[in-house]
Order: sequence, then C-alpha cells, then structure tokens
Amino acid sequence: MITLTIDGREIQAPENAMLVDGAKYGDVEIPYFCYEPKLGAPVGACRMCLVEVEGIPKLQTACSTGVKDGMVVHTQTARVRDAQEGVVEFLLINHPLDCPVCDKGGECPLQDITFGWGAGTSRFIEPKRHFVKPLELSPLIAIDRERCIVCYRCVRFSQEISEDYQLVLLERGANSFVGTFDGHPYVAPFSGNIIELCPVGALTSRAYRFRARPWEVEGGGSICTLCPAQCNVEFTVRDERVLRVLARDHEDVDDGWLCDKGRFAYQAIHVDERIVEPMVREGGELRAVGWDRALETAASALAGAAGKAAGLAGGETTNEEGFLLGRLLREGLRSPHLDSRAGTPLPLALRQALAAPALAATVPDLEFAHAVLVLDCEPVDDAPILDLRLRKGVRRNGMRLAIATGRPSTLDSNAEHSVRIAPGAGGALLAALDAALGSGGDLGALAAAAGLAVDEVRTLATLLSEAGEDVVILWGERLTDGPGGAHAARALLNVARRLGLHGPQGAGLLGIPAGANGRGLAEVGVLPDAGPGLQAVETAGRPAAGIAAGLADGELSTLYLLHADPLRTHPDRTLWERALEQATVIAHESTMTETVRRYATVVFPAESYAEKEGTVTHPDGRLQRLRPAIGNPGQVRSEWRVLAELAERIGHGLGVLTGEMATGQVVEAVPFYARLTLEDIGGRGVRWQERVAASAMPEGAPGPFDLEPLPAAPAANGALRLGTFRSIWAAKEVEISPSLKFLAARQRAELSPTDAERLGVEHGEPVEVVHDGASVHAIAAVRANLPAGTVFLEEATATEPVNILTDGEQRLVQVRRP
Amino acid sequence: MTRDVVRFEHGSRVPGWDDAVDLTKDPAQIPDPATTPVPPELRAQIEEYMSRYPDRRSAALPALRAAQNHHTYCSPEAVDQVACVMRVTPAYLAALTTFYDMLETEPKGTHAVYVCTNISCSLNGAEELYEAFQEAIGEDPDINLRTFECLGACDIAPMASVDGTYIGPLAPGDAVTVRDDIKADRPVLDAKQLRHRKVVPQGDPS
Amino acid sequence: MTALLFENIDEEGLNTLEVYERRGGYRSLPKALAMTRDEVLDTLVESGLRGRGGAGFSMGKKASFLPKTDMEKYLVCNADESEPGAFKDRELMQKNPHQLIEGIMIGAYAAGANRAFIFIRGEYDFQADILEAAVAEAYEAGYAGERILDSEHTITLVVHRGAGAYICGEETALLDGLEGKRGSPRLKPPFPANQGLYQGPTLINNVETLCNVPHIIRLGVEGFTKHGVEGSRGTKVVSVSGNVQRPGNYEVELGTPSRNIIYGLAGGPPEGREVKFWFPGGSSAPILTGDDLDLPYDFDSMAKAGSMLGSGSIIVIDDSNAVLDVALKVAKFYRHESCGKCTPCREGTNWTVKMLERIERGEATPMDLEIMAGVQERIIGNCLCVLGDSMAMPIGSMIKKFRDEFEAHIERARAEADGGPVPEPSALVGVAGAEPGPYPSTADAED
Repeated sequence: MITLTIDGREIQAPENAMLVDGAKYGDVEIPYFCYEPKLGAPVGACRMCLVEVEGIPKLQTACSTGVKDGMVVHTQTARVRDAQEGVVEFLLINHPLDCPVCDKGGECPLQDITFGWGAGTSRFIEPKRHFVKPLELSPLIAIDRERCIVCYRCVRFSQEISEDYQLVLLERGANSFVGTFDGHPYVAPFSGNIIELCPVGALTSRAYRFRARPWEVEGGGSICTLCPAQCNVEFTVRDERVLRVLARDHEDVDDGWLCDKGRFAYQAIHVDERIVEPMVREGGELRAVGWDRALETAASALAGAAGKAAGLAGGETTNEEGFLLGRLLREGLRSPHLDSRAGTPLPLALRQALAAPALAATVPDLEFAHAVLVLDCEPVDDAPILDLRLRKGVRRNGMRLAIATGRPSTLDSNAEHSVRIAPGAGGALLAALDAALGSGGDLGALAAAAGLAVDEVRTLATLLSEAGEDVVILWGERLTDGPGGAHAARALLNVARRLGLHGPQGAGLLGIPAGANGRGLAEVGVLPDAGPGLQAVETAGRPAAGIAAGLADGELSTLYLLHADPLRTHPDRTLWERALEQATVIAHESTMTETVRRYATVVFPAESYAEKEGTVTHPDGRLQRLRPAIGNPGQVRSEWRVLAELAERIGHGLGVLTGEMATGQVVEAVPFYARLTLEDIGGRGVRWQERVAASAMPEGAPGPFDLEPLPAAPAANGALRLGTFRSIWAAKEVEISPSLKFLAARQRAELSPTDAERLGVEHGEPVEVVHDGASVHAIAAVRANLPAGTVFLEEATATEPVNILTDGEQRLVQVRRP
Repeated sequence: MTRDVVRFEHGSRVPGWDDAVDLTKDPAQIPDPATTPVPPELRAQIEEYMSRYPDRRSAALPALRAAQNHHTYCSPEAVDQVACVMRVTPAYLAALTTFYDMLETEPKGTHAVYVCTNISCSLNGAEELYEAFQEAIGEDPDINLRTFECLGACDIAPMASVDGTYIGPLAPGDAVTVRDDIKADRPVLDAKQLRHRKVVPQGDPS
Repeated sequence: MTALLFENIDEEGLNTLEVYERRGGYRSLPKALAMTRDEVLDTLVESGLRGRGGAGFSMGKKASFLPKTDMEKYLVCNADESEPGAFKDRELMQKNPHQLIEGIMIGAYAAGANRAFIFIRGEYDFQADILEAAVAEAYEAGYAGERILDSEHTITLVVHRGAGAYICGEETALLDGLEGKRGSPRLKPPFPANQGLYQGPTLINNVETLCNVPHIIRLGVEGFTKHGVEGSRGTKVVSVSGNVQRPGNYEVELGTPSRNIIYGLAGGPPEGREVKFWFPGGSSAPILTGDDLDLPYDFDSMAKAGSMLGSGSIIVIDDSNAVLDVALKVAKFYRHESCGKCTPCREGTNWTVKMLERIERGEATPMDLEIMAGVQERIIGNCLCVLGDSMAMPIGSMIKKFRDEFEAHIERARAEADGGPVPEPSALVGVAGAEPGPYPSTADAED
C-alpha cells in the first residue's frame, strides 16, 4: 500500500492501482464510462475521469494514471468540475435522453454520472440526431444508435476478449457507429456480454426488453449448470419468473463473462413445453397424475426390480441428487448398476490418480501458466468460458498455447503449435509425447500411430518441456472415452510425470467432463465401480453400455433416468432403443425429450437450475452452491425429495428431510469433502483440494507405466474416419428457448476440400454418411483447414443423430450424395 | 413572421446508421479459403504485401487498395477476398474501408477525380472549380468526382488529383479538358501537372 | 541565401541515386556508421534540431529516449503530410528522395532500429512511386537492407501508403495505421519510444526532420548551428499559400522576419489587398493578424505570440474574405478528420460546425459566440490527442480576434433571414469595403 492525497485527505491504496480504483480506497468516486479493467489496458477515450494531478500541467485521465506514493490529486477543483461537466455536456449532445422508455433506466451509468457530475443544463440547442431505433444487431441483441456514447466497450470485447472480431466501429468522427460487416448479424458464442458491458441503453437484450424495471426485480445468485464451466450467475427475477441472467463475477471461475447459452437459455425454464406435473403412461399415452400415484407406480416398479434396476444421471444432476440415486439403487435395491458417463469406464485406480490434488490445475492456472496444451477438447464447445481464459492468457500473459485435437480448433490462431490427430488418437499422441520426452519408446512408430510426423511431436514436446515449470494440460473426457481410454489415461499420467506437473502450484491437469457436474457425480459415487469418494465398491455394477445391453436382453428391467437422455448423448442409439423398449423407464426430466416421449413409464417433473438447491463440483474441484432463485412451478418437487420418498416407499428410508440434510450426507460420505458446510461454500465456492481433508483422496495408480503397444488403426480403403464433436449449441435448452432456437445445432458433415473433391461433393449440398446400413443425413460443409481422411459430424443434434453410427469404437464411414 | 427552422430531422446521412442487420445472413467470420475464391493475381499481390511486414495485418491498407483497383470499389466480395487471404474477419476490414477516405464502399467510377476544397484552394476558387467539374462530368459512370480535404498541393491551388496525378492551378475552363483527357486515356492536362513544377526561385529574404 | 535541403532541388534527375551521389549524397551515412551510436545521438542533440512535423521537440533527445536494450526497435518516418497548408514534405520526397533515405538510415542507426518504415499519405501516389524506386536503388547500392555498406548493421526500409486520413499524421494514430488498424490515437504514456510499433520502441520523425540529418553529420554541430537562431537551429522549408502571389515552398533560416517570407518571398497578397490574418503553422495554429507580420519566424517567437510554428505552413488570408468562411472551413475539416475516439473532439468539432452553420444561416445571437468560445475551451487540453485542440485553438483565436465581425455578421444575417431592415455593410467591422461575395445567401432556405 502507498499513501497519496486526494482532495486534501491522505489515503492508502494498493501500489499498482489506477487512480480511479485507488481513489475508492478513500471513498472518492471518479466517474468513467470507457474504463473496464476486464477489457484490458485503459483506452482513455471517454475523458470522463479527468482529474488534476499536482505537478502535471494538463488534466490526466484517472483510468490510466497509476497511483504513486506522495501523489497529490484533486477531483473537485473548478477546473476538474468544468472538464467533467464538459464531457457530460458533450455526451448528451446526441443522446436522446429517452430514459422513461429505456431499459437501462435505473441501472444506467450515464444517468448516474449525469446526475452526479453534469451541470444539469445544456447549451446545445441544435437539432438532435434521430435514427430508426431500435435495430436488430442479432437475434439476441438490439442496438439503439441514438443512445450510444461510443465508449468502445462492446467493440473492445469483440476484438480483444472473445476475439471474434465481428463487431467494429464503422465510419469515423461524429459519424462513428457500432456495426458489423455488410449487415451480417453479430452472432458469436459470447456476444451477450456486450449488453452487460454497455454503460448506456444502446445495447439491450431482445429477450429482456421492456420486461421489467430495475426496481421491480430481485437478483438471485446461483450457478449455471448448463455446462461444466459452471459460471456464477445472478438471476433477475420478477414475480417468480427468471427474466434475465447476469454474470456474477468470479475470477477463479468465469472472470465475469457468460456464454450466450448461459445468458439466454433461462427462457427454457418458462416455456410451455416444461413438464410441471407427474405423469404415468396409460394405454400408450402419458397422462398427468397426482404425485401419489406417480410415486406409487415408480416405487412398485423399482421394488419389483430389486437387483435388476439401473440408473443414469445426466450432467446437470447435483451432487446430492446423484448421491441419493446411488443410495436408492445400491442400498435400497441392491442394484449397483449406475453411471454418469456415456463412454467406456476408466479403471478406478487411474481415475483416482488423475484426480490427485497435487496434479490438479485451476481455472486461473490456464491464464498464468507458461504453457497450456489443449488436448482432445474444444473449449468453446465443451466449457465455453475457458476459451476466453485461454485467449486472455495468450494475449496478456504471453502464455504459450499448444493444441492437439482431431478437428481444427477455434484457438488454433492463438496457438504456437497445433497438431491434428486422428479421431480417438489422443492416447497415441500422448504415448508419442511420452517417448519424445524421454520414455525410450519408438517415437517414429508412436507418432505414426497418432497420425503425426515425428517433428510435430518433437516440437510439441520441446514447447511443453522448455516453456517453464507451470504447464497445464487441459483435456476433454473424449480422451478417455473410447476403448483405448485406459491407455490414454496411463499415457497422460506418464506425460504429467515427465513434465513435472505434480509439483508446482500453477501446473497440473484439468479435465473437462462431458456433463456439467461430471466431476461431482463421479466423486459422489455415480460410477459403476466406485462409491462416494471414489472408493471401490464391493460389487461393481454395469457401466452405461452394459446397462443398455442388460436392459435389451432382459437381465435388467427398470431404468431410472435422472436428467439423462441416452438416445441423445450415448453411443449406439440402436441398442438404446431396444433397451428402452424393453425396460420400465422412470424419467426425471424437465422437458419432453424423445426418450421421455417414446419410452417413459413414469415421468417426474424436474426442477430447473434456477429452482434447485444443492451443490455441484467444478472440473477444478471447486464445490459451488446452487440456491433457488424462484419457486417451483406447477407441481414440481425437488429431486432429492422425490428420491427420498421413493426410498421410503420401498422400505429403505434415506433419512433426508431437507436439502441441507442431503448435502450433509454427501460431505459425510465423501472423505475429501469432509465437514464442508453450505455456509463454507457460500457464494464463492471452495476447492476441496485446498482443504486438509484433501489427503483422504485415494492415491490410485500414479504410474509410471510401460505403455502397451496400440492396435493398428483399421485400413481406410477409401472410407473416411468418423470424428464427432458436440457443439455448444447442441442442448435441449437451446432448442426450446425462443430466442436461442435459431442457433440449435443442425447436422452437417464437415469435409476437407480434398475429400470433397474426390467424392464430388459441393459445399452446402446434402450428403449421406453411412455405416453398416445406418445412415445420417447432413449438409456438407467443406472446410479448408480440416485434415483429409476424416469426416466430422455433430453429436446430440435434435434430428439426424450421429450416435446411430457409433458404438464407442472408431468408425470408418462412407460419404455419398443421397 | 415565423421562420421554418428545421429542428428535428429524422434519419441520417451516414450510411448504415439506420440499418439493422439481416438476420437471415450467417455471422461474418474469417472466410474459409475452401469456399471463397480469390483471383490469383490479387491473392499474389496481397501475399506480397503481407510479406513486407512483421505482422500480416499491416498489409490491410495496401491490400484493400489493391482489391479496390481490382473490383473498382471495396465491395463486400472484395472485402471477403482480402479477409480470406489475410486471415482476418471482414468486419476488421470494414472498420478500415469506412474510416479511410480513399477506400470506397459504394460502386464508383474507376477514374478518381478529387477536387481539393480546403482553405488555400477555396481562397483561390475551388468551389467554382468543383461546380465546373460537376457540369463537365455530369453523371458519367466512369468518373468518381468528389471534393477532398487538403491534398497537400496548396502551391498549385486550386487543384485536383486525377487518378493520383496532381494538376493545378486550374481554371473552371480546365474541367472539360480534364474530362476529355480521361475519356481519351491521355495524360491529364499535361502542362499543369505538378511534376513539371519547379521550386520557386529562392530569394534571400534579408 | 542558404539552401541545405533544397540544394540543387530542381536539378533534373536528383531523384536518382546517380545524381544524388554526384552531388555529394550518401557521404554522411558511412561517416555516421564510422561513429558510435552515442556519438551520432550526441551530434543530433547538440545540433539543436527540432522536429519539423509540428511539435518541435528535439530530434536527438527523442532518439535517445529509446531504451538501449536489444529488443526489436523501429524507425518510422512520418510522411503523412495532411495539414491544410503543408506541402513541403511532398516536395522533399518527390525531388530528393535519397536525402530522406540517407537521413532515415542514419537515424535508424542512431536509434538502434533494424526496421524502418515511411508512412506516406495515400494521396501522394506519385511521390510514393518515386520513393519506392529510390529505396530499390538504395538496396541495390547497399545503402539499405542486410549489412549496409558492409557493416554489421541491417536496416530494412518499407514504403507504406496510407489511404486518406489526416489523423494518421498524429504519431500514435500513424502507428495504428501502420499496424493495419483504424488510425486512432493511443493513450500516452506509454510513449512510442518505449512501446510503439508492434509494441516495440519506436522513433517517429517527420520527413523534413530526417532530411536534415545527413546535413548535420556532414556539417558537424558547429557547421549546422550556424543556421537559424538560438532555440531554432537550422533552416526551415516553409510552405506559403492562400492569398499570395507566389505560393510555394521556401527554405529560410529560422528567425527570418515573417513579413520577408509572406511579402518578400511569396509576393504578398494580390494587388490592392492587405493581409487580414494568417496561419503561421498550418490550419491548426491560432491565427495571427497583420500586426504580427514583423515577428521572427521561429519556434519560440511564434509560441510567444500565442500561436505556433507547427509544420511551418503559412496560409495567408487577405481582406476580401470573411473570417466566418474560414472558420467554417477549418471546423468542417477537423470534424471530418476527427477519428471519433474521444468525446470532446468527436462531439465538440461537430457542435462547433453546427453553431457556425447556424451563424451563417442567420439563426444565431451573440450569445452563441460565448457558447462557441466556451465549447472551444472545454475541448482544449481535454482530448486524447491534439486534433481537437487543432480546431479549438484557431477557432478560439478567430472569435477572440474578430468578435466584432462575427457579431456584425450575426446581426446582418438575422436581419436578412427575418426579412427586416439589413444593416449597412459599413457596420461590418473588419470587412469594411468587402465585396458582397463572402456572404452566402441564406435567404434561399426561407420562404
């Protein structure tokens, strides 16, 4: 802390603060519009923060002047007041002052600053400019150019934070305006942030426009559980309806940004399609029934299936819900068959080793590391907000980025080194990397198995080993999903060991699970072979694929789906259709998914994430707390309560009467969560690795391993390898939110120009992707940077599902014109 | 007696201010080379420009001017092509085409006639000269006639720049000759070209 | 008569390497390379050479601000000459490009820069072609490029053409323009000497400044400082235009009386006309009047008179013109050229134009003059760069020095617009005897 004098009073401020921030330590407010530290270096454009600094003849912008010891600053002199009044007067020249009909009214910095620092009158008597307004900037955002004060915040966001560079200033001088190229809409994964950044009412949410005034709403802080990034959000609530989602800045999680899915998918909470009553299938039709009837039907189905029941938990399931589902099945029904993952299970010892606290990297580590390897994941799709964090690391901190993915990454242009591996060859790449880092393996053969040249692997190895001690590997669940998952995990542990990632604070692994609470569900025991705390269970159950097979051939009879939709997310759709056909299906769902519509016997209406109470665990181990922002609509009941009642009815009470009791049971059962309370977790969360109890995490098998040779890839023979990816927009919430609907993922087949030419396929024309009699229709998308030999299809689309072609093994497919 | 003072005029003269986006279009990302054909000579030129600088984006202005020469103006297609070769978004370039005076965003004649109307030229009759040009050129689609801020040739005021060739001092009567020279593809008003002008004989001010 | 930069200026072929060398060119470069960097820097500092682009800062000091680290450094020659009234750099580049190239090479050597750029305004295509040809010759002859003149120094040089934006003459906007962005000024600090082009330390100098460098090396400090006066060393190429009989570029000793330049060299206003007012340093300099003609033309004298030497461009306005017309021209120019980044400049230039237009239309009262003067005061010193000041200072000075004429115009135009009795022209102070020309008809717009 240093000491400076502001307006005659000595104040203490942190050394590196800018004057605007430093002044706050002395309760002095200096007004500003363009300054926003999250957007990078100050630009000094709005000139609102001019102050007098003794010893400097000209007024200085407080946003760009650092505090210095002994500095003497005046913010209230006649000269400063005149400059401030001048800037307000200038800004209001062309501002329409239509506050009574402006959405921003009541929460508008321009209003506040005009009131606080303006002269109260204007000498401007020329005609104001008037334009057509509001105009669409995108389906999500309206722009009112009359209100814009050209503060540059939105365009800086587009250019320097999300780096989509679609939003720019056009024209110059007094004609400058915010716009896009040639009337293209500003559609990008993070576009909605500009609404929150706008200090006036120029950029407004089309979904929120005129829905409420700031004094009519209340804010409810919670967590977005639409993806593993688990951003901290604040729900704007009016009359028990969520009307808006704002970022609740948490620099260790989201850095204050939200993706558009997180910002706009709240609409899915209040759609007509929402299931709000329990239903039971009668005569082939689902009919609304009372809770008692639905619970009784489900309980008797479950009781009759003791030992033959199974459960799947979807990604949005909370720790408490997953834990209680585990108890219901394992204790109540003596059925160990439950899973929260879609892929091949990973041996427990490896899973434990990968979760070792010493190996755990945090979200901020991505920003401050010397180097990051993005392995087999696409951050913008798999955990969108991390994409921004990586960009920030490269841009601001000189972090060196390496990418190893099958499909071209949107981060390629920020990366120092990108390699394209064959789909499913993440493990092969790691084995080659292990060799290049000195394992003694045959680098040539291993690189070839990954579809890479030796030099590409060597460059990658050099980058990672020489960047510095803080290296983070950000890997996607895809890496360990397939039949080679165990090999890949061993190779990953080997590479981590060779790079020394166990030691330094800022180094480690960060795995992105497929489900939003994938990490939490694994840790509370929603795995076939592990109970709470990743501890081995006496009798291992069947994993997801095994459950499907068991149901299909009658070895299992009843399936409990907790927010899970296997037809959409699990491989081998044909098998799942047979399984669901055979089984008694109890589904806990909020909307009418295909699985529910076609196969559910009993449907329990599920809470939305804005209604939930409980905890989730972030991929970096941070336990975060969900708090209900609104009451439950219709007859919706909390999932924990339903599970507890079901257990009661089958004669195995769980002893859970409140949500907090459920949390209590979870922390008691998971040794490394021990003694955590909801209060500890609070609004900012707690990383369990940072607590003493972390030592209770079993060590597992940390290696090093001798890696067994990989089976040779099947010969292509003119076929293409099938790669898949799940887009950020492939989600049911996107499909049913009126304003996001337009983004819903549609099936397309991405082809390299070489393959397209060979197959005679043109960009934009319909094609058919075929394997073993099954086919998916898609629109061809020819992309120049796609590696030849692979066709990519989208996962989890509403129609033309790719999982009809897959069963977890690598696939060779034919692409042809229908 | 009341005066009709236009106080609140609606609409704007700035192109784009009143325009919404077209929601049926896709977002404008960096154009994919697989689906964006670029004339080979234009590509080669842009790539040569990019090679001159440590950062390829420095080539944006020369590249846009090359594209403008190729397409007669910075059309959306031209911008797309430059964006594709330079690996930037078209919006990055649109921010430039609308900022810099010499880049045209609407279809224009291929021959540029800039008439300087800044102070020194104006003091020497630039307005009359511009009117004479307007009359001589009329609606000729091949000629892009416009007023321009100071072109840096106040010594030959009033002056004009015809496709980069400076001519002056001009009399209103020269406008017709200039037009005819342009149409006949001749050197424009050769006698009044700046390149012939000597630095005025230096005299000792003392 | 001295001619440093303009020596042999009209000689046929001076733009070629052959003639330039024949006339003694490219002798300073090897001399400089034989000196240490610090020796060259010291020579530049001691020569007292001040920047010729507008700010008038010591060129040697500016070069010595660059950190002496081995990070990549740059030299950028500012050839974006766009100030109304300025055309000296055009002449220097067109007639004697090698003089500039030699200056750049010496400057880059002194600053430790390995890459140099000439940012030339896009309108100067003809001059840019000449420069590019000269640069190619210099590369060929080993004066530029890898290991110049077999030394261990590599200095590349690229001619970069702008595309029409006055603001790119501002040094940080120029850097943005060179980086392929909109030419918007950057916040200072950091100054370009620490963080300039591509974030590297950068020395930015005007064309004329760099053209002086070979002469300083050739003449030595003692030889060079014989020219000019204390505080303003060397000669100055002055562009004189407007209402003068012989507009053109004149190389004069700094400190020459202004009257000798305007009347002696440029021939003064046409027969029968008087100098009403003049811009001593381009359109962004506060105006001076006929009373100021005997001031010595140098940096400090102009500053003392409340104006500035700026780029050394004199625009003369004679008594047949109304100050309002010139004010409107100036304000419209700066409105057009404002980049729009900072509030006072973006809104202030626009507002000023609107007020002046209202005065012209006859819809103003003398109170509007107060407001206009107040607006200028709120612009000056409060902007991100000097463009806003460049309008506010001359407009402010015009209101101050010709308030009577503005007021007379306001009364007259209002009376005309209202259809009432029009005051006699004799009531127009300052334009007594003016021809009816300067007042645009405002009556057309009304009923």
